[in-house]
Amino acid sequence: MLPKRIYKPLLAAVLLSSVSGIASAELVVIVHPSNAATIDSTQVQRIFLGKEKKFADGNEATPINTVASNASREQFDTKILERSSSQVAAYWSKLVFTGKGIPPKELENDAAVIATVAADASAIGYVDSAAVTGAVKVITLN
Amino acid sequence: MKKIITLSMLTMASFAGHAELRINGFANLVGGLTSSDETLYGYDDKMSFSQESLFAIQISGDINDKMTATGQLVARGENDYKAEFEWAYITYSATDKLNISAGRLRLPLFNYSTSKDVGYSYHWLTTPNVVYNVPFNNLDGVKFEYSDYAGDWEYNLSTALGTYKGESLGAINEGKNTYLLSAEASYEWFKIRGVFGATKATLDLATSDSPSTLGFAAGLAAMRAAGFVELEDALQIRDDTGKFLGLSLQVDKFDWFVTGEITSVDVEDSFAAKDIAYYVTAGIRHEKWTPSLTYQKFKSDPEIKFQNLINQIATSGLPAANIAQLTGLAIGGQLAQDDEYNVWSATIRYDLDTNVALKADISKLSDDSGDVRDATLVRFAVNYVF
Repeated sequence: MLPKRIYKPLLAAVLLSSVSGIASAELVVIVHPSNAATIDSTQVQRIFLGKEKKFADGNEATPINTVASNASREQFDTKILERSSSQVAAYWSKLVFTGKGIPPKELENDAAVIATVAADASAIGYVDSAAVTGAVKVITLN
Repeated sequence: MKKIITLSMLTMASFAGHAELRINGFANLVGGLTSSDETLYGYDDKMSFSQESLFAIQISGDINDKMTATGQLVARGENDYKAEFEWAYITYSATDKLNISAGRLRLPLFNYSTSKDVGYSYHWLTTPNVVYNVPFNNLDGVKFEYSDYAGDWEYNLSTALGTYKGESLGAINEGKNTYLLSAEASYEWFKIRGVFGATKATLDLATSDSPSTLGFAAGLAAMRAAGFVELEDALQIRDDTGKFLGLSLQVDKFDWFVTGEITSVDVEDSFAAKDIAYYVTAGIRHEKWTPSLTYQKFKSDPEIKFQNLINQIATSGLPAANIAQLTGLAIGGQLAQDDEYNVWSATIRYDLDTNVALKADISKLSDDSGDVRDATLVRFAVNYVF
């Protein structure tokens, strides 16, 4: 009997830690708390690729990126933009040198992204879910 | 002294008055050589870095919320790195969907026209030379661009109007009243693009630096002097309508891609034959590596035009030798445009960093109308953007 009892909590602990392990690497999209627009992943992609300048409710959208060395960046590029970071850079080089667009501002880390998004009603950014604070609104992408 | 102070104050005031000036740049360092005694794209069997290398700086600034001024200064190895403003234009964002640009800008002929010089932005070492090297890439004029969505489709319509100046057969080629319409639609991994353009072209053969073209020009002058004004007019490209057609299809599934583009250039009322050029390219992306294969084909298949006018030479009563000369010129000048060749290229791109790519390419030209021009070219490149 005893081994079984020990086994159960252990298993739960293992499960918990693995779940939180996944959760800490999860990327979330964040906006200003006052932003009530519905946002899906296609829109996030369009806004971050400079194809769309407004949210669905007609308000201006300002994408906030992070530097290439930030872990969230590669995840965002591959999962949301569906391109490697080099591909994204190539994409922007095409737009910049044809006068068609300016890439989003790149901030140093998640904390800087949260601070900027919290202070700007038009901002949209992404951070590791573990970094999220109450100052920003988390968007659930479907 | 006073003037200088006023000037510098003005400059300061203007910088202070507007938002930041953006400075970006790109560079392609390209070196290449052919196998023995052959030439291709200007390269020969001695290593050269000057054929396709270029360095460019782009400066842009916001004039106000809706207007941006952009200048692109390009120094090309083939011009001894003399820097020139290849583009200088002002863009007015009329709405989020409509941009109007005026000045000197790239004519949106091809799928990769606008980023043709930015080697970093594509998988090739250079855009397919056979298709993209046309004498009318830059336009002095105005361009309207409209982009929007229809469900999951993104589309882009553009129209450009203006004049161009370029080089064909070593001679000055000018196009007035040039207009171009292009439409593009893309759905996730698929993109289709069509373009139609027309111009009033004039090719001043007498300005050529090629002896054979100058010979042709002298012959045409003699033809005119001998009284065959109508035929000479018909043969010359002088204020004649030139037409451009293009179609491109692109499938990009990220891990792999296939793109093809076909164009036709025709100045019907002239000695020139219709040119058909196309390429098909396919590649895969694996981590930092992008290997690809490209096939390019060029075909110019002349049929003898103006036969009625040419027949008049024979019945003109001129000495037989002159009749033979002028008839030969009218027919030979057209047949000389006969051309057919293809180029196979294998290219590899390696992403060294998010703003630096290294590339190597081997290209083999096969002359389909003989083997005189067959050549194999090896090139290496470093592409950089900042």
